[in-house]
Amino acid sequence: MSLIMPGAEPFYFPGGRTGCLLIHGFTGTPKEMRFLGEHLAGAGCTVLGVRLFAHATRQEDMLRARWRDWVASAEDGLHLLREACDRVIVMGLSMGGILALLLAAEHAVSGVVALSTPYDSPDPRLRLRPLAAFLTLFWRFARKGPPDWHDPTVAADHLEYPLAPVRGGVELYDILAELRRRLPSVTCPALVIHSRGDLTVRGSSAEAIVAHMGSGDKKLVWVENSGHVVTRDAERERVFAEVLSFVRGLEPSTA
Amino acid sequence: MTSIAPGGEPFLFPGGRTGCLLLHGFTASPQEVRELGRHLASHGATALGPRLFGHATQPGDLLRARWADWLASAFDGYHMLRGVCDRVFVLGVSLGGVLAFHLAARLDVAGVVGMATPFGPPKDPRLLLLRLAAPLVRFVPKGPPDWRDPAAAKTRVAYGVYPVPALAEVERAILAMRRHLVNVSCPVLLMHATEDTFVPPANMQAIYDALPAGDKAMLSIPHSNHVLPLDASRSQVFEAAADFIGRVSR
Repeated sequence: MSLIMPGAEPFYFPGGRTGCLLIHGFTGTPKEMRFLGEHLAGAGCTVLGVRLFAHATRQEDMLRARWRDWVASAEDGLHLLREACDRVIVMGLSMGGILALLLAAEHAVSGVVALSTPYDSPDPRLRLRPLAAFLTLFWRFARKGPPDWHDPTVAADHLEYPLAPVRGGVELYDILAELRRRLPSVTCPALVIHSRGDLTVRGSSAEAIVAHMGSGDKKLVWVENSGHVVTRDAERERVFAEVLSFVRGLEPSTA
Repeated sequence: MTSIAPGGEPFLFPGGRTGCLLLHGFTASPQEVRELGRHLASHGATALGPRLFGHATQPGDLLRARWADWLASAFDGYHMLRGVCDRVFVLGVSLGGVLAFHLAARLDVAGVVGMATPFGPPKDPRLLLLRLAAPLVRFVPKGPPDWRDPAAAKTRVAYGVYPVPALAEVERAILAMRRHLVNVSCPVLLMHATEDTFVPPANMQAIYDALPAGDKAMLSIPHSNHVLPLDASRSQVFEAAADFIGRVSR
């Protein structure tokens, strides 16, 4: 018996001296990154997929979580990979992308991949941020937006909390502000991938991230026929191939 | 913005198909078991030391911690090792030892090394007072240091205070462990300092008695304080842990 949702456990796949740190999104689990991880490990990378604090356990745990806890969870993964790898590429989905970019702004990483990552939040309820401490006393969970899956079989075995913790929404609001502050400090090579079918985070976020990051070497890739969870939805193979080709480009040439 | 205290980072030392999960104690950090992990890795093991939630960041983070969060951090490490290892040993100091027994009662664990593990709440007379003051007092300074090796004390990465509400969580973890000890069927090595004044050696005997009959052993360590893998007798602790793992793996 584990405390962690079966199938949503963090993972470690040993491999070569190139490390990939995979970070899942808000209310998600390591499972949404596992298939990308398997693909990268199959190509010889060492892969670690962290579990962010309060995720993949019980929804109520999210009420105690603060965004700095999630930064610390992501940093844990970076430190765990240090000994096994000469270079680490950090990559994340949605809020995991925010965390990957924050790590890249602060730590020596070889590259960063931001998938379906928000730059700001269009949710009008977040204008209530100044009242958060009061509101969260009695308003604990909010409904999530409509699902936007294009591959219904994958959608059926996806694991995440069914509701959005209101306190977590506040933390998301704050970590987005931190992201906008730190983005110019991201100078490593960067890959941004976004789906035009993403109903959770608008494509303008991807454009804003690319525009504001300090990196000279940056690339924006669009996919067409996927929802928010591009690591699992219909065009996942294309996403895996783009990420792997980016990682390959950061390895020293053996010639 | 680096949130983890320098030196207190979690670690993963790659090695062979024997995995060692190393769990630090309350208010401490992975630094407490890092050298032990190095030692076991030098014997061919894959060693992983996770950071328990709320540790090695800000003491205030522990105000939000529940003991299940610490157990989940330990599970994380177990799952990461599981992918690379045929067998996983769990080693823990103090609260880390408590968590090690929780894991062994629930998961496929090859063996447990419990160091300075409490069977009851620590014997600090101030703790009783604190329970009464808990709604008012958030932090309390730790007692005077009692290191046999003052040099080791200097390298330590740990909070200087106890977050008071978290003390009750430690106690819950200990009481829950008592109920689960009977389900621990793997080999167990218990180590305790004869001079441990924080968690007296009688705790080791109590855990030994509560474990089911089987492959279990006790080892008393002289010339050390509560923090066995850091203080003066650490080499003896390292050797005993490595011998136990070598013997059980054979």
